[in-house]
Amino acid sequence: MSDLITIRMYNTGFGDSFLLTFPADRPRKVLIDCGMHQFGPGPFPAGEVVDQILADVDEPDGPRIDIVVATHRHRDHVSGFEHKSWDKVRVAEVWMPWTEHPTDPEARSIRERQSSLAQRLCLAIQQLNLDAAERDYRFAFAQNNLSNAEAMTTLHEGFKDVKRRRFLPHKNGKRTAIQPACLPGVEIHALGPSRDPKVIRDMKPPEGESYLRVTAEDGRMLSQPSPFPASPGWTRGEFDALLKELDCQELLNGFSAKTAAGISSEGVVDEMAIATSLETAVNGTSLVLMFRMGKAHLLFPGDAQWGTWREILDDTECHPMLRRTSFYKVGHHGSHNATPPEFVETFLPKGALAMIPTRPMTRWPFIPKAALLTALTKYGVEFARSDEPPSAPSRFTCQERNGKTFSVTVEIPV
Amino acid sequence: MRASSYPFPTRRSLKIFAFDPMLGRVPLHRITIDVTHEQLRPGPMGSRLTILDYDGVRGRYYEPVNLDDPALLLQDGLDPTEADPRFHQQMVYAVAMKVIENFEVALGRRIHFYRRKPLLLLPHAFAGANAYYSSRRQAILFGYFSADAAKPGSNIPGQNVFSCLSQDIIAHEVTHAIVDRLRRFFKWPTNPDMLAFHEGFADIVAIFQHFSFPEILNHAIQETHGDLRRPTPLIELAAQFGQATGKGEALRTALDRPDAAASNNILEPHQRGSILVAAVFDGFFTTFQSRIQDLLRLASGGTGRLPEGYLHPDLVNRLAQEARATAQAVLRMCIRAFDYLPPVDVTFGDYLRALVTADYELNPDDRSGLRRNMVEAFRVRGIYPHGVRSLAEDSLLWERFDAGATCPDYVISELNNRLLSEAASSSRSSTRDQVAEEKLGRREEKTLNYLARELRKKAWESFDKLDLASPHTVRTNLVSMHPVFRIGQDGQLLVETVIQFVQERRRSKSSYGGVAMRGGSTVIAQADGRIRYVISKPLDSTDLRPEKAREGKEREMRFESFLRDFDCTDACQIWRDERYHQERLVRGLTLAMVDRRGAG
Repeated sequence: MSDLITIRMYNTGFGDSFLLTFPADRPRKVLIDCGMHQFGPGPFPAGEVVDQILADVDEPDGPRIDIVVATHRHRDHVSGFEHKSWDKVRVAEVWMPWTEHPTDPEARSIRERQSSLAQRLCLAIQQLNLDAAERDYRFAFAQNNLSNAEAMTTLHEGFKDVKRRRFLPHKNGKRTAIQPACLPGVEIHALGPSRDPKVIRDMKPPEGESYLRVTAEDGRMLSQPSPFPASPGWTRGEFDALLKELDCQELLNGFSAKTAAGISSEGVVDEMAIATSLETAVNGTSLVLMFRMGKAHLLFPGDAQWGTWREILDDTECHPMLRRTSFYKVGHHGSHNATPPEFVETFLPKGALAMIPTRPMTRWPFIPKAALLTALTKYGVEFARSDEPPSAPSRFTCQERNGKTFSVTVEIPV
Repeated sequence: MRASSYPFPTRRSLKIFAFDPMLGRVPLHRITIDVTHEQLRPGPMGSRLTILDYDGVRGRYYEPVNLDDPALLLQDGLDPTEADPRFHQQMVYAVAMKVIENFEVALGRRIHFYRRKPLLLLPHAFAGANAYYSSRRQAILFGYFSADAAKPGSNIPGQNVFSCLSQDIIAHEVTHAIVDRLRRFFKWPTNPDMLAFHEGFADIVAIFQHFSFPEILNHAIQETHGDLRRPTPLIELAAQFGQATGKGEALRTALDRPDAAASNNILEPHQRGSILVAAVFDGFFTTFQSRIQDLLRLASGGTGRLPEGYLHPDLVNRLAQEARATAQAVLRMCIRAFDYLPPVDVTFGDYLRALVTADYELNPDDRSGLRRNMVEAFRVRGIYPHGVRSLAEDSLLWERFDAGATCPDYVISELNNRLLSEAASSSRSSTRDQVAEEKLGRREEKTLNYLARELRKKAWESFDKLDLASPHTVRTNLVSMHPVFRIGQDGQLLVETVIQFVQERRRSKSSYGGVAMRGGSTVIAQADGRIRYVISKPLDSTDLRPEKAREGKEREMRFESFLRDFDCTDACQIWRDERYHQERLVRGLTLAMVDRRGAG
């Protein structure tokens, strides 16, 4: 029996996909996420990556995964599950954040709010009067939030022989470690998403019909009826004449037609700002898992945001295990706000290893955030990116295909 | 022969919805308020406010109301209705004037907006569930929207909801505009309290304005059996608005569960501001309770416990009187504190010190206990001033200035000019000359620049005594100066001067996300130029005394850590370019942004 945990990060471009292999009587496997972003695909087609995963988990009697984890419902984390081939994979347990619980009322309200906003957002963006490239970009950005029905169906109903689906953390049981039968010798702490109402609030993007409807017609609702049926209002010319009649033309002093146009455009809701807050809200539902086996501590925070992180960092019970982190999956493709500087500076120990699933994006120059990479190096954390072969010599090994990085692997001693 | 003229009226009565149209369905909630009378042109256009009803959604203008039309004068304006935009204009005018009046009474001087121009209010500017003050436009933009289709609360799904018909929203936004006028650098955040202060203060003014409506107050006291902490519209903000946006309850309330740790954890400006609101309301409530003890004993045969059932109307009247007087005192205390605030980088703790100092100056012996209760209410919410050793009164007071500096003569003589023009302008209320006013406004601005130049040129030796770096090393501005009048304990009229100096470290904007590292001092001087208080936020400069320079260094570090916390919460940065990054604090965290987001 080997005493190493293997972590394999597949290069899915702007997306996450990790296969963990734990030593036991037979190697036990945990798959964390499988997805790629519409706007930032990796160098290999999604199907090819999925096929490789299936090959990697193959056993004499067919492919078998002990636990499948979907950290949150963003496409760049789950889109791979829409493939038909998952039907033949035996999975003992499927883990999702509690916000995916089918019947929990709070979870449903969060999901409904997120997905109805995503739908309206996509509709609104399609109707925008923009050049095609810009519209496609915005659409892809918003679409990342659309609940990916096929992939979610796989997670909720698919796979073969699923014994249990867990929605974590359990109510009131947050700090209790889970010791799943299918993963002997491993203890797992679900540290997020939070159930604290204050943090949950951040998972709910603003709701309300009023919010988006406006953008559909480029900020104007000229076809809308006047809110005052008896007073339809006057055009500028008519109003000028009216003021003359009332002898109060100075009412319009300094209020040029241009100022008026400016006021009209100030009211326009910026759909990208809404898309951003929705993106953040969905990231906020990320399942945060700490796997413990022997002295190995593997932290997979999904794309957890500030609220969840704050709660974890403020909880002194979490501090000892955070300080022993031996592997860290860098949150949200290396963005500045998915890894608190405080975590790198005071918790992540020297000698820890990290992996960043990412790729450079011309539109998003701050992914991955240079300051974060510098800080990791400064605090003695060795890391590998999914899109580049690790700098030699390194504890990471890289599997290439057609001259491009296909995956990166690392072994963590137990 | 000339016919004799009639005395010019001093008050104008106008009808409004006490809260908003939703609550206004109850006849009680349609009330008449009175505001300072001034001659108005259609709009209404007055000396401080212009209401221009341009509908930015539809690109149309609505007819302006003429409140000086005899027909309207005889019936206190139009009856409250959602259907006539002219009533909307009337309500916006009436409530906004009431807020301005509250500030003027408390501060003892007139409020002028930028260059003495009227503030522009657009009651139907855009489609959206919010309203905001735009400093750049010197305007308040109100939105309107359809109530949520699925969860409209007490509204009809899809019904038009007008933010300009909510008393609270008008008062809130006008307060933003006035606060921005009094302390123009408070809108650029350099610590987590600043925007929260803006928001919280705006809510305080809105809530305490409720207490000036006798009908509403009497009703609330009967309803709550004298316990004003029980939920009523009196202590809630923007009920219709909150319900129409699907929140299912009022936007915010004055109540909280005091938590000393909250001030460390809550950063969103509205929520953080609510801590301030709750503290002030708590101070109010405790004081009100102690003021009505005797009434309760009288009414209960000495037990102090009121019997079940309806209260006697006389008792209700007396309780309401006490509530109104206490609320009035609290509001004045809160507003008066402004003159004792530093010009930049304000914190809740600074505000507590200003509150205590301003009130101490006015009534040293604190007979009502209001000041004591206020300090206690702040304490239980974890609000302590920076660098104060205890919460005893004398350590909360700003330190008296004893370095013996005086203002130079040329500053004093300009102050005298302002005194005269102020006195003249208050007697001009009957006939208004807007052109002359604006000319005066421009001249005042020029004088400030001139004085700043003079002070620089003559290298006024007292700069370091005022905790200011030498004007040769940092950009130094005189941002405002104005006289303050108050009646001393001996009944004598005391005239004081408040001057704000602001210094800016050059080229510091790009390193702090678009907000410059500023320092500054509020200087309070007697009429003869002798300086009484210097309330400062020093820069880190070798020109200063070492302990002040150290304070400047600490402020810089706090600013950096604030920016870092902001970065952690600001998800926008991921998706934006270099330019956004350099200006992220001014673009990601403005009052307008905060108000737009905060409605949800």
